[in-house]
Amino acid sequence: MAQEPGASLMDLITSDPPPPGNPTFPPLGKPERSSKNVPPRKSNVQMTPELLSSIKTSVPGKTGLGLPKQKKPVSYSHLARSLQELSTSADQKAAAKQLVHQVFPKLAVYSSVDPSLAPALLALHKSSEDRSVLRYVYYFFARLLAESGAQGVTSGGGLPTPNWDALADLNLAGGTVVTRAEVVPQIIAQLTAEAAMSDPLLHPRRIAALKALSFAPTSSNDVLANLYGIVFGILDKVADAGKLKRKKGMFGRQSVDKESALRSNLQYAALSTLRRLPLDSGNPAFLHRAVQGIACADPVGVRHALSVVTELATKDTTAVAMAVAKVSLNGGSLQEVLQIHDVLARVYLARLCYILSRAKVLDERPEVRTQFTTILYQLLLDPSERVCFEAVSCILGKFDASESLEDRAVGWVLLTTAILKFPEPPSLPAKDSSGAAGKDGATKEGIPPRGPKDRQAPRPRRPQPLIKLVMRRLEAALRSSSRPVLHGAVRIVQELGKSRASAVAIRGYTVDEMAQQDESMINPTADAMKGEDEAGDAEAGHRRTVSVSAGGKESIASMVASLVEGVRTTTACECVYVRAAAIKALIWMQSPYEPVEELKAIVNGELADPNWPSALLNDILLTLHARFKATPEMAVILLDISRLFATKVPGKIDSDVLQLLWKTCLVGSGPDGKHNALEAVTVVLDLPPPQPLQMVGGRATERADPKSAIALQRLVQAAVWFLGENANYAAGEYAWESATSPSTALMMLDGDKMVAAASSRNPTLAGAITRLQRCAISGSWEVRIIAAQALVTVAIRSGEPYRIQIYEFMHTLAQGRTREKVVGAEATNGEDQGASGTGLSSIIAPMLRVLDEIYKGQDQFVKDTREHDNAKREWSDDDLKKLYDTHEKLLDLVSLYCFVPRSKYLPLGPTSAKLINLYRNEHRIDASAGYNDPAVATGISDLLDYGARGGGVQYPPVNIETGDDLNVTSEWGNNQPGVDRVNAFMKGGGTDAPEDDAEEEEEARPSISYDDMWAKTLLDGSDSSDDEGGSSGSSSPTSAASSRHGSTRFPGGLFTGGQASRREDPFKYPSTATSGMKDMSTKSESPKTSGRKFTTSARNDSMNSDSTTRDSPRMSFDAGSDDRQEPQFGKALYDFTAGGDEELNLTAGEELEIEYEVDGWFMVKKKRPGRDGKSQGLVPVLYVS
Amino acid sequence: MILCVLFTNRAGNVLLERFHGLPAEERLHWRSFLVKLTAENLKTARDDEVFVASHKSVFIVYTVIGDICIFAVGKEVYDELALMEVLNAVTSSVKEVCRKDPSERLFLEKYGKVCLCLDEIISQGALEHTDKDRIRRLTRLKPLAE
Repeated sequence: MAQEPGASLMDLITSDPPPPGNPTFPPLGKPERSSKNVPPRKSNVQMTPELLSSIKTSVPGKTGLGLPKQKKPVSYSHLARSLQELSTSADQKAAAKQLVHQVFPKLAVYSSVDPSLAPALLALHKSSEDRSVLRYVYYFFARLLAESGAQGVTSGGGLPTPNWDALADLNLAGGTVVTRAEVVPQIIAQLTAEAAMSDPLLHPRRIAALKALSFAPTSSNDVLANLYGIVFGILDKVADAGKLKRKKGMFGRQSVDKESALRSNLQYAALSTLRRLPLDSGNPAFLHRAVQGIACADPVGVRHALSVVTELATKDTTAVAMAVAKVSLNGGSLQEVLQIHDVLARVYLARLCYILSRAKVLDERPEVRTQFTTILYQLLLDPSERVCFEAVSCILGKFDASESLEDRAVGWVLLTTAILKFPEPPSLPAKDSSGAAGKDGATKEGIPPRGPKDRQAPRPRRPQPLIKLVMRRLEAALRSSSRPVLHGAVRIVQELGKSRASAVAIRGYTVDEMAQQDESMINPTADAMKGEDEAGDAEAGHRRTVSVSAGGKESIASMVASLVEGVRTTTACECVYVRAAAIKALIWMQSPYEPVEELKAIVNGELADPNWPSALLNDILLTLHARFKATPEMAVILLDISRLFATKVPGKIDSDVLQLLWKTCLVGSGPDGKHNALEAVTVVLDLPPPQPLQMVGGRATERADPKSAIALQRLVQAAVWFLGENANYAAGEYAWESATSPSTALMMLDGDKMVAAASSRNPTLAGAITRLQRCAISGSWEVRIIAAQALVTVAIRSGEPYRIQIYEFMHTLAQGRTREKVVGAEATNGEDQGASGTGLSSIIAPMLRVLDEIYKGQDQFVKDTREHDNAKREWSDDDLKKLYDTHEKLLDLVSLYCFVPRSKYLPLGPTSAKLINLYRNEHRIDASAGYNDPAVATGISDLLDYGARGGGVQYPPVNIETGDDLNVTSEWGNNQPGVDRVNAFMKGGGTDAPEDDAEEEEEARPSISYDDMWAKTLLDGSDSSDDEGGSSGSSSPTSAASSRHGSTRFPGGLFTGGQASRREDPFKYPSTATSGMKDMSTKSESPKTSGRKFTTSARNDSMNSDSTTRDSPRMSFDAGSDDRQEPQFGKALYDFTAGGDEELNLTAGEELEIEYEVDGWFMVKKKRPGRDGKSQGLVPVLYVS
Repeated sequence: MILCVLFTNRAGNVLLERFHGLPAEERLHWRSFLVKLTAENLKTARDDEVFVASHKSVFIVYTVIGDICIFAVGKEVYDELALMEVLNAVTSSVKEVCRKDPSERLFLEKYGKVCLCLDEIISQGALEHTDKDRIRRLTRLKPLAE
């Protein structure tokens, strides 16, 4: 459609209808597209104030109703002028018509209201009698007032307008401009006067004025006082007059006399305004009037009253409970709300009843409490799903996401045990019990009463166990065809799962206990009926109970199973969001003792669907986190599921979150599950290596997707790194924990036998080593590097025969290369492919040297020992010093690659312990102090001690940030972005806007509302760079976390494994490694470099890569301590309980001076000593902002 | 809180929007997020078919009537089901104002009235009136009950 590029919403509104041959109106697509290339603000900028008044784009006007065939002006200035003119003749019908049909609708198109229109509007407000004109006037008043509160920030929508306030300040258009500051008080004054008028004939205007006035910024005390005055004036009057006729309002509009109608209208308006005013929680009048409002005849008024009272109840439960208790006696207004035709009113009723039913003050008045709980339970039968689900959430203990685990556990117990006993209906039929039972059957079938009208005739009802009502209702909802209902229902199932998990975790419920509960659940039903109903009824009830438990076998477990089946069927919904919610629900309903195959199959099938947005997939990963927190026993199951994500959609998931899941699950899976946990991670390694044309996720559509190929590769790198870091933990194999010396017998075996023996001794570790070895040979280049690093980490940390096994493997890699060199030394073309083409020899060489040094040292030590033994000579101090120096030297070397507990690690073998300790004791060297490396002395060694201490690996079901004695995140290296995301998810937060994919962003943006940006351009003229609000690339090396750590980084070598890697995102590896490799490849181009020399220089290079020149590893530590940063300041984010002498207790909010950071710990100084008298010590980095 | 109500045509151009409690820089993200949803789903949608989506703790419910797509975005008490109430109120009022399922042209012709209705349905991020008769009365400045 040929539309002028400048065409706008206004043109469309005012342009002629399309020619007859063109039945469909041209969409806004064209101008939209033009605005994509040329941002609309550019064209808007031309609308400078001068132009604004001179623009005369007389686009042909749409045929007006009152003024046929007349061309109408559409420019803003024309509209403004018409308004001015017509406001003077507002009493004429034609003028009113023109205003209503031509001027106001078009003015409404603009995104903000020009204050200089206010005088005309004020004049209209005074003089016009036309209700339609007046309604628009109130509309514009409200918008003007709302905008004045936000300092000219528009409420959005429509055509962009300039920042009127800025224009007025510039005063470019001459004397006609009126500033907001001038008109707002006038508007408020005029509206206030009108809202205070008590002429009944004018009360619709009064109500409209009050509403418009409530948009005024409530920061001004005058306005507030006025509003309070008016609102309470109305409420006082209504309450005084309305006491006698309160009942009348309940039966619909027809039967209400004029006076009551007027009162209800005014009361509604007052309550509506009251709700927008700040809560005055200490004020008894406020509470009194709000509670009175619950009896308002207007349903929306009731809703507002209930919402205010509910909010008050969260602040002052006692007062509200007492006030509401007065009106909530049987048949009182609260019961009436059950019948009110307003969904949200009943939602607030559920919330209010929930809060009040838990009020302590009602402990002495159980009858009132029962009242509230009964109403809450009755809401389960509400015809609206919204209300029913709110009641379920409340019963489950879910309330505004701030509830404790205990609340949730209690919620589950309540749901499974409580019985809904209907209040005695006012007129008890007391006959025809069989008929009542028959009617009741309808409810039992899960068909809720259709509407409030159905329930108007009260009839006796049988007590119902809540769980049955809820389950049937949910199952009915799950069969719904409405997607929002499905989504809501599966969300509630999630909440069920959460509460059940809490109950299991806190109350120690097991499946058996739940079965017992079933019994007790059914029996009280019968008992209650026996006690309360007449004998025949009880008989019938008993029969029913029996038949139900025998025939349907209605245990909670079976009900839950059938509900879960219902959720499963919703995964067939075509809406991906519903399916995501269903999967989350299934994850929550999964019990650790049930087979997981079905869930896995569902997830597997879903992940094959390319339509899943990555945000949703990550949400599910986060749900796995949450599920793990609730039930740590599920670690292995959850890892099993997470592995599907890793293999199917590696490009879409946040690898930070996935890694954190691995870590937490590994720690939480306990001694038995560790092997499986590690297996779940290593499966990632079996993924096919990323190639440009590789099939990812089994989908042809994702072929050649470079993004997901890169993501997969990163994931594999992360997995390899993870394996190297954690294999020893998972396997429980530490060199320093075996008391026996390396088994020489084992070492004498040949390679194959050694491997076999090793794997029989510790299959977990052997398996991990095998995987890493495979990666070191056959992975992509980036993966091979990390695999080599992982292997050396494992070699250093493990005892024999694993170390020798790795040593041999690495030697083979390096040897191959040397042999080649020997053969073709003269003929080399300068390229060095390394051993078997792995390209790793230069990286392996320094690692091999460390292992060489260790073995050499051990040999020497054995020799020395033998000499001493043979000569029956004691170790002299010099001998010991020599030994100790070797020990320390090796320790330093080893520390370059990975963490080892310096106080325990014995590079010379277990037998050296005695002599080293001897020397230490004689020279008073504190073993745990090491080289100013307190983290090694405390945190890390403690961590590595867990296995030895036995127990304690159980991960407590606490939030990650509050875990006192076992903080996974701080111990297992930092993963700040992942932790942040998990914590945010747990808190249920996140209302930030969805991030867009970069390439789609521009395209999707509509053109019409660049208001704010335009105003900005107009004002400051600086380039208005589009602020996208924070980077999203959490896994990029430049993410916030990495750079934060970067500033405090220990100067460590390139391949120094531990120091850097522990603290950093493992994904930094490839980048640093790459730069290192570049250095090396430049070197290796020189054909004259001999092999040995080359490796040494490569090693030096690598060690110096952080531009810290040093000759020995020892220096590196000194450098580390000298290089400390200026002290930084921070604040404690959470409470922290010290786990050792070196650690420091923290209270959230404390100011701290950070002295330095070591291995995920900050050495901090408090400004004031804490309660324990300590002011300095170590705290986990994550606890400090 | 109802964060946003947005009207677009089927091509994804914003016709009318009301934001509440969203910073200006996030509005752009929301707009494009919503418009993207439309592009994926609404092409073949039946009239009055209600769709649902979510982002973290924010719910989105949307539908299409005639040429007009209507979105409601909310959080907290305004979950998907409460938003459905909002959406029902909006669509029934729009239909009443336009007297049928609106074409884009019809919608734009009735723009002013739609604004007034919206003003009665949503007030400062909260749902006000849902009953279309009440809404009609209020937009004509007539008393709610007589």
